[in-house]
Amino acid sequence: MKIYTYAIIDSNSGMDEPIRGLGEASVYNIPYHDIGIVVSDLDPQVQIKTKESILKHEEVVERLMDRFTVLPMRLYTVFSGKEEMLLKVKDYYEDFIENLDRVRNKAEFGIKVIWTGNIIKERISNAYKNESPAHLTQSGTKFMKEKFEKYKIDKEFEEEADRCSAIVDGFFNRLASEKKLEKLKTDNLLLSASYLVDKEKKDDFKKAFEELRSSGGDLKYLLSGPWPPYNFIILSHSGDGKVGGMDISDKAFQHKDMEGNEGRGE
Amino acid sequence: MDSPIKILQDKNSYLDLRKQERVTLLEVLDRALEKGVVISGDIVISVADVDLVYLGLKVLLSSVETMERLRGAPITGPMQEPT
Repeated sequence: MKIYTYAIIDSNSGMDEPIRGLGEASVYNIPYHDIGIVVSDLDPQVQIKTKESILKHEEVVERLMDRFTVLPMRLYTVFSGKEEMLLKVKDYYEDFIENLDRVRNKAEFGIKVIWTGNIIKERISNAYKNESPAHLTQSGTKFMKEKFEKYKIDKEFEEEADRCSAIVDGFFNRLASEKKLEKLKTDNLLLSASYLVDKEKKDDFKKAFEELRSSGGDLKYLLSGPWPPYNFIILSHSGDGKVGGMDISDKAFQHKDMEGNEGRGE
Repeated sequence: MDSPIKILQDKNSYLDLRKQERVTLLEVLDRALEKGVVISGDIVISVADVDLVYLGLKVLLSSVETMERLRGAPITGPMQEPT
């Protein structure tokens, strides 16, 4: 029987309350030293790529989060059996211990900020068009000028996004122990941010959101949480050549960059 | 269970249950499909799922903007001109 995994937890004891997982299967904890891997048996008949299964995965992890420190597994992580899974856990054990310590008593909150990026880009573009000198007839010169203008428009758009993102981040930065900010996933999604927040500061985080909301302007905001710390898992150990966990991509801009951008905006 | 905020737009507007469920689903997908503990196993993620996340973000934007429209707030005003 295959097993479906939900989370790594900081306990090697059994579940103290019954939890039902995918396909209503019983959720149980497989101990490994002082931690555990929470799983359920996966009936081959159960469809796992459904809305219900996705929400069930999340529900199980959140129920665990109430009692334990959790490292949520990525959706759809399935092993052919307990032995295969434990071999992998052995490879990553030290990483799991470090991550459990880092995220203990903390939860992830998400902030999404929407702006009218398409309109802003159009405004910047129009400003450059108005600045254009007399009509250029030489096609090579015209091509280069258009390329350069596009570069300047994109750059100005990004600078505006950096400036606004830094302002938003300023409301939450002091409340978070770690953060991950992604800017302009789409033109209109100005910022998609995740903050790792001490559970005791949850209400302060909500207050900061309300302050942001009431600060005026045309930005739209979405707060969600508390989530399991999906975005703050760092697996440095590569047991089989694969490295998992937090994605520090080019799109993600880090704290240092934020400070620099804030400075330019002032 | 810890009292969840889950989705909070602002104090004057709320997402009805159906919309909240949809946005919650998208927020879960946004996290759990790409993030979390990634150790090898039989991970059954296909290109279609990635597309789902991308589509999901578009739907998310749409639903938030729809909420703004429903509660009568301005939705199309550009950002303030930088001074």
